[in-house]
Amino acid sequence: MQEKTITITIDEQGNSTLDLNGFAGSECNKAFEDFRGSDAVKLERKKTVYFTSQSNAQEQIRR
Amino acid sequence: MSKYGITITEVREEKFLVEALKEMGYEVEVHPDGAQLNSYYSEQERKTANIILRRAQLRGAYGDIGFARQPDGRLTLIADELDAYAGYGSKWLGRVQQLYKEKQTLAMARAKGYILKKREVIQTSEGQQVRLQFAVRR
Repeated sequence: MQEKTITITIDEQGNSTLDLNGFAGSECNKAFEDFRGSDAVKLERKKTVYFTSQSNAQEQIRR
Repeated sequence: MSKYGITITEVREEKFLVEALKEMGYEVEVHPDGAQLNSYYSEQERKTANIILRRAQLRGAYGDIGFARQPDGRLTLIADELDAYAGYGSKWLGRVQQLYKEKQTLAMARAKGYILKKREVIQTSEGQQVRLQFAVRR
Protein backbone atom coordinates (compact mmCIF):
# COMPACT_ATOMS: atom_id res chain seq x y z
CA MET A 1 0.00 0.00 0.00
CA GLN A 2 1.33 3.43 -0.95
CA GLU A 3 2.42 5.64 1.97
CA LYS A 4 0.29 8.72 2.54
CA THR A 5 2.49 11.77 2.26
CA ILE A 6 1.96 15.50 2.30
CA THR A 7 4.65 17.78 0.87
CA ILE A 8 4.37 21.50 1.48
CA THR A 9 6.71 23.90 -0.29
CA ILE A 10 6.75 27.44 1.09
CA ASP A 11 8.25 30.17 -1.09
CA GLU A 12 9.53 33.67 -0.33
CA GLN A 13 6.45 35.32 -1.80
CA GLY A 14 4.16 33.91 0.86
CA ASN A 15 2.73 31.16 -1.37
CA SER A 16 2.66 27.47 -0.55
CA THR A 17 2.14 24.44 -2.75
CA LEU A 18 0.52 21.38 -1.22
CA ASP A 19 1.12 17.97 -2.77
CA LEU A 20 -0.80 15.05 -1.29
CA ASN A 21 -0.19 11.47 -2.36
CA GLY A 22 -1.58 8.04 -1.47
CA PHE A 23 -4.82 9.21 0.12
CA ALA A 24 -8.29 7.79 -0.38
CA GLY A 25 -11.55 9.72 -0.45
CA SER A 26 -12.44 12.23 2.22
CA GLU A 27 -9.19 11.82 4.17
CA CYS A 28 -7.42 13.55 1.28
CA ASN A 29 -9.67 16.59 1.67
CA LYS A 30 -9.21 16.55 5.44
CA ALA A 31 -5.41 16.55 5.15
CA PHE A 32 -5.59 19.34 2.56
CA GLU A 33 -7.71 21.45 4.91
CA ASP A 34 -5.36 20.75 7.85
CA PHE A 35 -2.36 22.03 5.91
CA ARG A 36 -4.20 24.89 4.24
CA GLY A 37 -5.17 26.25 7.65
CA SER A 38 -6.62 29.74 7.30
CA ASP A 39 -4.83 30.49 4.04
CA ALA A 40 -6.62 31.51 0.85
CA VAL A 41 -6.77 28.85 -1.86
CA LYS A 42 -5.39 29.95 -5.23
CA LEU A 43 -5.62 26.56 -6.95
CA GLU A 44 -6.96 23.14 -5.94
CA ARG A 45 -7.14 20.06 -8.15
CA LYS A 46 -7.13 16.27 -8.05
CA LYS A 47 -4.10 14.71 -9.69
CA THR A 48 -4.34 12.19 -12.52
CA VAL A 49 -1.36 10.16 -11.24
CA TYR A 50 -3.62 7.55 -9.67
CA PHE A 51 -5.63 6.98 -12.86
CA THR A 52 -2.54 7.06 -15.10
CA SER A 53 -0.61 4.52 -13.04
CA GLN A 54 -3.66 2.24 -12.92
CA SER A 55 -4.12 2.25 -16.72
CA ASN A 56 -0.34 1.72 -17.26
CA ALA A 57 -0.46 -1.37 -15.06
CA GLN A 58 -3.43 -2.77 -17.00
CA GLU A 59 -1.62 -2.11 -20.29
CA GLN A 60 1.47 -4.02 -19.10
CA ILE A 61 -0.66 -7.03 -18.12
CA ARG A 62 -2.21 -7.09 -21.62
CA ARG A 63 1.26 -7.20 -23.29
CA MET B 1 -6.58 9.90 -4.62
CA SER B 2 -3.93 12.56 -4.86
CA LYS B 3 -4.35 16.27 -4.73
CA TYR B 4 -2.40 19.39 -5.51
CA GLY B 5 -3.03 22.97 -4.45
CA ILE B 6 -1.56 26.43 -4.13
CA THR B 7 -2.41 28.63 -1.16
CA ILE B 8 -1.62 32.22 -0.20
CA THR B 9 -0.47 32.73 3.37
CA GLU B 10 -2.73 34.84 5.55
CA VAL B 11 -1.12 35.90 8.82
CA ARG B 12 -3.69 35.50 11.60
CA GLU B 13 -1.91 33.84 14.52
CA GLU B 14 0.07 36.31 16.60
CA LYS B 15 2.20 33.63 18.27
CA PHE B 16 3.75 32.41 15.02
CA LEU B 17 4.24 35.94 13.66
CA VAL B 18 6.13 36.91 16.83
CA GLU B 19 8.26 33.74 16.57
CA ALA B 20 9.02 34.46 12.91
CA LEU B 21 10.11 38.04 13.64
CA LYS B 22 12.26 36.91 16.56
CA GLU B 23 13.95 34.35 14.32
CA MET B 24 14.80 37.21 11.95
CA GLY B 25 16.62 38.80 14.89
CA TYR B 26 14.14 41.47 15.95
CA GLU B 27 12.96 42.46 19.40
CA VAL B 28 9.20 42.36 19.18
CA GLU B 29 6.71 44.46 21.14
CA VAL B 30 3.23 42.97 21.56
CA HIS B 31 0.36 45.35 22.34
CA PRO B 32 -3.03 43.61 22.55
CA ASP B 33 -4.80 46.99 22.58
CA GLY B 34 -2.50 48.58 20.02
CA ALA B 35 0.25 51.17 20.41
CA GLN B 36 1.43 54.09 18.33
CA LEU B 37 4.02 53.76 15.58
CA ASN B 38 6.65 56.49 15.32
CA SER B 39 7.05 57.99 11.84
CA TYR B 40 9.91 59.84 10.17
CA TYR B 41 7.79 62.95 9.62
CA SER B 42 6.05 64.17 12.77
CA GLU B 43 3.19 65.63 10.73
CA GLN B 44 2.28 62.20 9.29
CA GLU B 45 -0.97 60.59 10.35
CA ARG B 46 -0.50 58.63 13.57
CA LYS B 47 -0.84 54.88 13.05
CA THR B 48 -1.24 52.13 15.61
CA ALA B 49 -0.29 48.45 15.53
CA ASN B 50 -0.50 45.38 17.75
CA ILE B 51 2.94 43.97 16.99
CA ILE B 52 5.73 46.51 16.66
CA LEU B 53 9.37 46.57 15.59
CA ARG B 54 10.97 49.86 16.64
CA ARG B 55 13.03 51.81 14.11
CA ALA B 56 16.21 51.70 16.23
CA GLN B 57 16.73 48.05 15.26
CA LEU B 58 15.58 48.40 11.63
CA ARG B 59 18.62 49.29 9.61
CA GLY B 60 17.83 52.09 7.13
CA ALA B 61 14.16 52.33 8.09
CA TYR B 62 12.37 55.67 8.28
CA GLY B 63 9.85 54.67 10.91
CA ASP B 64 8.64 51.84 13.13
CA ILE B 65 7.09 48.85 11.42
CA GLY B 66 4.03 47.11 12.78
CA PHE B 67 1.32 44.57 12.17
CA ALA B 68 -2.26 45.57 12.99
CA ARG B 69 -5.19 43.26 13.63
CA GLN B 70 -7.93 43.81 11.05
CA PRO B 71 -11.67 43.26 11.60
CA ASP B 72 -11.46 39.99 9.61
CA GLY B 73 -8.75 38.66 11.96
CA ARG B 74 -5.75 39.11 9.67
CA LEU B 75 -2.58 40.82 10.87
CA THR B 76 -1.44 43.20 8.14
CA LEU B 77 1.77 45.18 7.70
CA ILE B 78 1.72 48.86 8.67
CA ALA B 79 4.83 50.71 7.51
CA ASP B 80 5.94 54.00 6.08
CA GLU B 81 5.78 53.94 2.25
CA LEU B 82 9.43 54.99 2.17
CA ASP B 83 10.41 51.83 4.03
CA ALA B 84 9.44 49.71 1.03
CA TYR B 85 12.52 51.22 -0.63
CA ALA B 86 14.64 50.71 2.47
CA GLY B 87 14.40 46.92 2.39
CA TYR B 88 11.07 46.46 4.16
CA GLY B 89 8.78 45.94 1.16
CA SER B 90 7.16 42.88 -0.36
CA LYS B 91 10.35 40.80 -0.35
CA TRP B 92 10.86 41.38 3.36
CA LEU B 93 7.20 40.65 4.07
CA GLY B 94 7.42 37.47 1.98
CA ARG B 95 10.29 36.23 4.15
CA VAL B 96 8.22 36.97 7.29
CA GLN B 97 5.30 35.03 5.80
CA GLN B 98 7.56 32.13 4.84
CA LEU B 99 8.86 31.76 8.40
CA TYR B 100 5.34 32.25 9.79
CA LYS B 101 3.91 29.52 7.54
CA GLU B 102 6.67 27.07 8.42
CA LYS B 103 6.19 27.58 12.16
CA GLN B 104 2.41 27.36 11.88
CA THR B 105 2.60 24.21 9.74
CA LEU B 106 5.01 22.42 12.10
CA ALA B 107 2.85 23.26 15.13
CA MET B 108 -0.37 22.15 13.41
CA ALA B 109 1.23 18.91 12.19
CA ARG B 110 2.53 18.09 15.68
CA ALA B 111 -0.89 18.77 17.22
CA LYS B 112 -2.74 16.63 14.65
CA GLY B 113 -0.34 13.70 14.66
CA TYR B 114 1.40 14.08 11.29
CA ILE B 115 5.01 12.91 11.25
CA LEU B 116 7.72 15.19 9.86
CA LYS B 117 9.86 13.03 7.54
CA LYS B 118 12.08 15.63 5.90
CA ARG B 119 12.90 19.34 5.86
CA GLU B 120 14.79 20.80 2.91
CA VAL B 121 15.85 24.32 1.97
CA ILE B 122 15.97 24.71 -1.79
CA GLN B 123 17.61 27.57 -3.68
CA THR B 124 15.69 28.55 -6.81
CA SER B 125 15.88 31.44 -9.27
CA GLU B 126 12.91 32.94 -7.40
CA GLY B 127 14.56 32.68 -4.01
CA GLN B 128 14.72 30.21 -1.18
CA GLN B 129 12.00 27.62 -0.69
CA VAL B 130 11.35 25.51 2.39
CA ARG B 131 10.02 22.02 1.68
CA LEU B 132 8.48 19.95 4.47
CA GLN B 133 7.41 16.37 3.96
CA PHE B 134 4.98 14.68 6.34
CA ALA B 135 3.56 11.19 6.66
CA VAL B 136 0.31 10.12 8.26
CA ARG B 137 0.53 8.17 11.50
CA ARG B 138 -0.90 4.67 10.94
